[in-house]
Amino acid sequence: MTRTPVLYVERFSVFQRFIHLLIILSFLTLAVTGMALKFATEPWADWIARVGGGFEVLGALHRFCAVITFFYFFLTMILLYTSWKESDKDLFEFIFDPEGLVPNLADLREMIGTFKWFFGGKRPYYGHWTYWEKFDFMAVFWGIAVIGSSGLALWFPEQFSRLFPGYWLNIATIIHSDEALLAAGFIFTIHFYNTHLRPEKFPLDPVIFVGSVPLEELKHERPREYDQLVASGELERVVTRRAPAAWLRRLATVFGLFVVTTGSVLIVAIILTMFKYIQHN
Amino acid sequence: MRYKDTLLPRIGKPVGFLLILLAISAARVSALTNDDCLGCHGDKSMTTQRDGKTISLYIDGDAFKKTVHADNGCLSCHVDADVKGDEHPVPLKPVDCAGCHDKIGERYAKSAHGVAMAKGDKFAPRCYDCHSKHDILKPTDPKSSTYPLNIPYTCGRCHQEGSKMTETHDLNKHNITSNYSMSVHGKGLFEDGLIVTAVCSSCHTAHDVQKASDPASSVNRNNIIKTCSKCHVGIAEQFQKSVHSPLVTKTNKKLPVCTDCHTDHSIARVNQKDFRLLIARQCGNCHEHKTETYMETYHGRASLLKGGERTAKCSDCHGSHNIMPSQDPSSTINNANIVKTCSKCHPNANQSFTTYLTHATHSSADKDKYPYLFYTFWAMTGLLVGTFAFFGLHTILWVPRSIIERLKAMTQRHPH
Repeated sequence: MTRTPVLYVERFSVFQRFIHLLIILSFLTLAVTGMALKFATEPWADWIARVGGGFEVLGALHRFCAVITFFYFFLTMILLYTSWKESDKDLFEFIFDPEGLVPNLADLREMIGTFKWFFGGKRPYYGHWTYWEKFDFMAVFWGIAVIGSSGLALWFPEQFSRLFPGYWLNIATIIHSDEALLAAGFIFTIHFYNTHLRPEKFPLDPVIFVGSVPLEELKHERPREYDQLVASGELERVVTRRAPAAWLRRLATVFGLFVVTTGSVLIVAIILTMFKYIQHN
Repeated sequence: MRYKDTLLPRIGKPVGFLLILLAISAARVSALTNDDCLGCHGDKSMTTQRDGKTISLYIDGDAFKKTVHADNGCLSCHVDADVKGDEHPVPLKPVDCAGCHDKIGERYAKSAHGVAMAKGDKFAPRCYDCHSKHDILKPTDPKSSTYPLNIPYTCGRCHQEGSKMTETHDLNKHNITSNYSMSVHGKGLFEDGLIVTAVCSSCHTAHDVQKASDPASSVNRNNIIKTCSKCHVGIAEQFQKSVHSPLVTKTNKKLPVCTDCHTDHSIARVNQKDFRLLIARQCGNCHEHKTETYMETYHGRASLLKGGERTAKCSDCHGSHNIMPSQDPSSTINNANIVKTCSKCHPNANQSFTTYLTHATHSSADKDKYPYLFYTFWAMTGLLVGTFAFFGLHTILWVPRSIIERLKAMTQRHPH
């Protein structure tokens, strides 16, 4: 920690950052190994398999990262549970907290406001989670449920077929593969852009790695959250003069850019391949 | 006595006459012995000029005595060398082996080599091109040019890229010798010294060589099964009972022969990576749709990647030489056997597991057969397209706004 004249506010706890790190590592590996199989006819997929040491190695990595995925899903549940317990709200209030992660009508209004802002209107009065951030969270939640369950079926096809007809494995394959394409496509384009690559943030928003943002940035980007902090008097409690350590910032930048680049390269390869397919058919 | 009394009077006269004739001719031939010939040709320095080249006329007499023709006189082949003086006409006529080896001579004359020879093709091989001239040994002698271990070299002198013959003749097949030496037959021969393995002549014959396009050729499509069956008796027996056998399936369509799946000169061990990766393509030459749809499934997809030879290939499920349609009780994919077949790789396979569709696609061509795949795919695609359409638009519209915001932030930080 470095003391600076700039005031910082913590946005992500160490636990949250750790979960996101697990997500990055497992998701990227899942995407690379899975897409190599999905697009096996392509030279780049063959390259991945050769570098990885064969499709069986890719399969082993894929299953290992699936375990990590289930693990961070579990950690997220713990995180949500403890936040609920600390919040002295009942479960319903906690889940549908207007400042929580579940989208609500206010988000729809905020989204409309955002479109207006794109065309020169006033910048919306964003809070702790914007609607696209809520969508990111819910999408991963939904994605793990869909990709995870279909993936388990494909991992244990013999056991699965004791419970369900064997040809459901064909359906599971389509769901797993296409939902994964959606997830990888979404994260490597929309999430990367919204969070890191858009000119305001380019090339990287390091907050998910370093944890805190300058108070000024919070005030500008999330005015509603800032005003709520001021109104509740909590601001005094959360601000700190401790800036994220320089080495952490550097590490975050290097690692973050590596991940963003890898994901982007993969998605470019996929998009070019899809164009080729569409042209052929 | 009785013999003499009865037989000799009747045949005695002609036989006696023949004996006299033979004695006379033998006396004449024996006038020139091999030693006589070697008197000149035993001299290592004896040479002559032909077409501007110096050619040795030396014959190793001791070596000749070890050849199959050791008991023959020089003159029995070089008939026109039989002169009274020291000098015989030069050059001597080409030796006619068919003088003794008449049956082989007849077969050779009908072969592609013999026909080319008759047409005056100077690259057509004469007997000695394969068998050598004075050093002819039994094919069982390891030093013989027709000993199994040496045959690929003997044939390869012409049937190989870069040979003199290829300057004027096109090779139908390429890299024959190198492909052969990498093949299961070639490896057997060169690596293990297995002389019962197939060499060139095992399939192409020695003296009846014909182009594969010739119906009489041993390697013609219609004769391939017979040719391979000479050694692969057990497999041939299985094959003749399979759906691919013309004895079982009466059809006008082309039925596969051994080489359609196994290739010819590069024929690989079936458990080898190359063959396993090849087989789907080979089956696909006829079963195109089945191969395409196989490639859409996990087995096919993974088979395209490194290590992919280990996933299930056509023959792993359908069998190979014993292949039968699924309705046949002996078929490996018949309902009665399918669990056992899947269990080879999936030890916990069960009847429900075997309803996995190994060739199904979500394509519109298969829509009627597998509507649930078709609609699942399009529902997923709809979700994908919908999500990207919305967020794509959202992102694109954000770009100019985001640039403006960034510029604004920069001017605030560095006010002029």
